[in-house]
Amino acid sequence: MTALWSKLSAVLPPNEEEFPLQFSDKVESSVVSVLQQSRRQLYSDATSTDRTLTAQIILDLSWEKLNTGTWRDVDKEWRCVYSYGCLFKVAALCREHPSADEILQGIRTCDMGLLMGAAIMDNVLQVLVQILQEEVRKSTKEEKINKKRKINKLTKYAVPRIKCPSLESFKSDYLLPLRPVILEATADHWPAFNEHPWSVEYLRSVAGCRTVPVEVGSRYTDEEWSQTLLTVNEFIDQYVLNRVSDGAKAVGYLAQHQLFDQIPELKEDIRIPDYCCLGDGDEDDITVNAWFGPGGTVSPLHQDPQQNFLVQVVGSKYIRLYSPEDTDKLYPHQSSLLHNTSQVEVENPDTERFPEFARAPYLECVLQPGDVLFIPVQHWHYIRSLELSFSVSFWWS
Amino acid sequence: MRWFGFGFNAFGQICVHNELSKDEGRDTVSDVKIMNPTELHRNVDKSVCGRNKCLKTSQIRASWSRRVWLHVDGDSCVCLAGFGGTSVVDSSGCTDTVLSETHLTLAFSDRIESWDLQKKEKTPAWSMEIQPPTDTSGPPLSLPLVPGGYIATKPPFYRSLSPHLKAKSLALGAEHAILLSATGAVYTWGLGSHGQLGHGGLTSEEEPRAVEALWGMPMKHVVTGGWHCACISDGADLYIWGWNESGQLGLPSQSLRKGHKEESSQQAADCQSASINPGGKPLEGEKDKEVFISIQAFPALLDISPSCEIRTVSCGSRHTAAVTATGDLYTWGWGEYGQLGHKNLISTDEPQCVDFFKEQKLYVVDVVCGPWNTFTAVGEEEVKLS
Repeated sequence: MTALWSKLSAVLPPNEEEFPLQFSDKVESSVVSVLQQSRRQLYSDATSTDRTLTAQIILDLSWEKLNTGTWRDVDKEWRCVYSYGCLFKVAALCREHPSADEILQGIRTCDMGLLMGAAIMDNVLQVLVQILQEEVRKSTKEEKINKKRKINKLTKYAVPRIKCPSLESFKSDYLLPLRPVILEATADHWPAFNEHPWSVEYLRSVAGCRTVPVEVGSRYTDEEWSQTLLTVNEFIDQYVLNRVSDGAKAVGYLAQHQLFDQIPELKEDIRIPDYCCLGDGDEDDITVNAWFGPGGTVSPLHQDPQQNFLVQVVGSKYIRLYSPEDTDKLYPHQSSLLHNTSQVEVENPDTERFPEFARAPYLECVLQPGDVLFIPVQHWHYIRSLELSFSVSFWWS
Repeated sequence: MRWFGFGFNAFGQICVHNELSKDEGRDTVSDVKIMNPTELHRNVDKSVCGRNKCLKTSQIRASWSRRVWLHVDGDSCVCLAGFGGTSVVDSSGCTDTVLSETHLTLAFSDRIESWDLQKKEKTPAWSMEIQPPTDTSGPPLSLPLVPGGYIATKPPFYRSLSPHLKAKSLALGAEHAILLSATGAVYTWGLGSHGQLGHGGLTSEEEPRAVEALWGMPMKHVVTGGWHCACISDGADLYIWGWNESGQLGLPSQSLRKGHKEESSQQAADCQSASINPGGKPLEGEKDKEVFISIQAFPALLDISPSCEIRTVSCGSRHTAAVTATGDLYTWGWGEYGQLGHKNLISTDEPQCVDFFKEQKLYVVDVVCGPWNTFTAVGEEEVKLS
């Protein structure tokens, strides 16, 4: 038994009898029989080919179910089945003297289960991926990050800045009247600024071989916009460094991804802003997203159904805010899919098609590392990164 | 009529696994993925089924884990194979069948019955009586159509259809449906997130909506796959639309090419491109790259070269198979279980002729796809399609 397999199997049940496989009627008995076959093969002398074959049948079938209907209607049972498929495939890949490439495939398989599946067996895929990651951790060269700070030019439309307001004054002055504000020095205590300062090199070391969803294209309203899956290393190599300066190569953006659920190590570097306790929900109801990309990423003018704290960790972003009261001047798309998005390109508006846009009042700012921007619920916001940037957003109600 | 099957066989639904394979250490992959068209044998126990002559007409339907074979001659006989073993269903007088993963539906002249395959009960889970048709001018309705409506794959089983649609045939996918009316018009409804409704967008439709792009071109045959649809016009042209992630539309598929380039045969390409093609014209990629289509939201005419008349078509989850008027079988789309019949496990976005039938000098007359496999009937040229 290889050292790696002994670590992996220690996390799995010791025998077939103690390996749970219970599903509702939604999962047909033919499918359950294949899952049982995989479980049998895990504890028997099956060949690696056979194990992989059975696991792949489970993955192929559950993948089809996951793509049937709308994502939120997909039965959690099928997402669990998908995760079991990933588990059995990882076990098959990494059992007998896996090559470096097979271990990376194993990590990718775990990530697919974490991204598309549902947690099974005490989130076993999370545990397995961390074991596999340790096997591949490699030292990377020092990446020097451009730490040049841009001066925040004061304009008469600047978003107000305030340093560490009390909970009561934030609530009365900004939350209740739904007024945007930048809270300075509020995230200063984060390990992301202190013990583990975030940098490209740090992200590579913590998450380099992890697979994440990346948006490719200048903005999500474009026809050429698409999504793909890359490892963090690939994303950094292809879209963050080595970029062609004339803009011919497409922009890539690791956007709106719950990275901190996927990689708990990074979650320990951030803190939920205290002001979130002014909301109605639990801590568990707060959605935390990562936004990581090169200069030039654009989120078109849009509104969200929850309050938002946007924390800038690395680099800077230009942000413009419009009040929901002026929605009539912002020309939202008609379709239900894009109803929360404006048709107007904020920094290059078509004044013939959107004549009222120039008359809509706005606030703007350049968000710097350490700043926390409060974007009130339904407030329209447009964001463009000015350089390599990493932000964390907290959606709360 | 002889039938051949290829593709997914994990449950022995094409042919029973070689029982000696475990001892001899034979590769299980070739049990599960049948790459070469293999002839289907009628039930060994002839005394039960009572057939040992070559039948003129028979019908095959396939679900993910099973296959049902209806022999229609005199006393009809329904033979089930796959998960749960081989069995013969008591079914004299059965004229038509539909098979889903959970139910086997049988049509008789006076009733429809749906049997729950997960329970071994002596009576059908559901049934309804039907009146023998008073109007005998047209051909009998084929399942899942029944007088006044159709039989769905899950409860409620009977769903009504407006008579003004003049439904002539109906095909059901997991989340969408396509209907052919007596006038040759095509209607679709259900989920549209992958362009499978053919109306040019991604929105769903609650009620049958005419596919306007086909207006004025009468169709004679309509089928669905997992996320795509195909139909044949009176002029024997093939139209196709929906999701092309595995090349199942026969149009250039980027995710397919990426998958071939990057990975070994074991990993499926999970990249899902959201590029939509509403206008029917190819997307503009970068100038020196090929043009790819991942979703075709309007019907596209597919020329299976060399240009030829299409006799019939069938779709699996992610692959398509078509029979030409000259007796050739073409397949394309997802092929990782051997369901394309090209003696390999390679998916392709270019329709390819299945050489096996040409080599054996067999004349293909019909094709029926299960989700991950394909069944082909060969016979004499005059035989009617089942």
